[in-house]
Amino acid sequence: MFVLLAGAGGALVRFGIQRLVTAPWAVLLVNVVGSFIGGVLIGATSGDLQLILLTGFCGGLTTFSSFTVETVQLVLEGRARRALLSVALTLVLGVGAAALGFALT
Amino acid sequence: MRPTWRELVAVALGGLLGTGARLAIDTLVGQPASTLAINVVGSFALGLLVARLWSSAAPWLRAGLGAGLLGSFTTFSALAVQLVHLGPTWGAALYLLLSIGLGLLAAWAGLRLGSRGVTAIDGGSE
Repeated sequence: MFVLLAGAGGALVRFGIQRLVTAPWAVLLVNVVGSFIGGVLIGATSGDLQLILLTGFCGGLTTFSSFTVETVQLVLEGRARRALLSVALTLVLGVGAAALGFALT
Repeated sequence: MRPTWRELVAVALGGLLGTGARLAIDTLVGQPASTLAINVVGSFALGLLVARLWSSAAPWLRAGLGAGLLGSFTTFSALAVQLVHLGPTWGAALYLLLSIGLGLLAAWAGLRLGSRGVTAIDGGSE
């Protein structure tokens, strides 16, 4: 139950950021921040706490569907360079942030 | 634009359901296969909704289904954390390539299928 509540909390934070930052950078931001927190969590927590914070909060905060749909929309609008930049930054910064978070613990 | 209470409630409810569905599939299928399947299916579903429903749906419905349900169902942190666990292996490279490749393909297919008979694809995916 706490996992679901944490997921809803993460979704609300992401929704708020999507209102403040334009696409595709809002999703980039939540995915990088959520991946960093996720990296810290796999090193520093276990069991139920990890499930609540990682699967729940970080899972709710980060998203994949908006990332892929916004990328395809950018390409369809003729902004392929921005789409490519968004994908590259998501992969490098996102996975890098998770690795950094894990390394710090 | 300031979110309305209706939008916030819809996002929270969608977030509960999306997280619950992801947790159930993780438990049944096991990571990382569950995460890959969730992200590909979720990308297709969001593409479909954005193209088919977004121009006519109320803001709270878009927020609940998009940012709430599908936003929480799919995840990036699980993918990133799993890649860190796997380390620099061929398996990790394949998993990353499949996630991005199939995810983008699914989003494109959803947008394409959803826009049949609809004049324009516009608006954010939010």
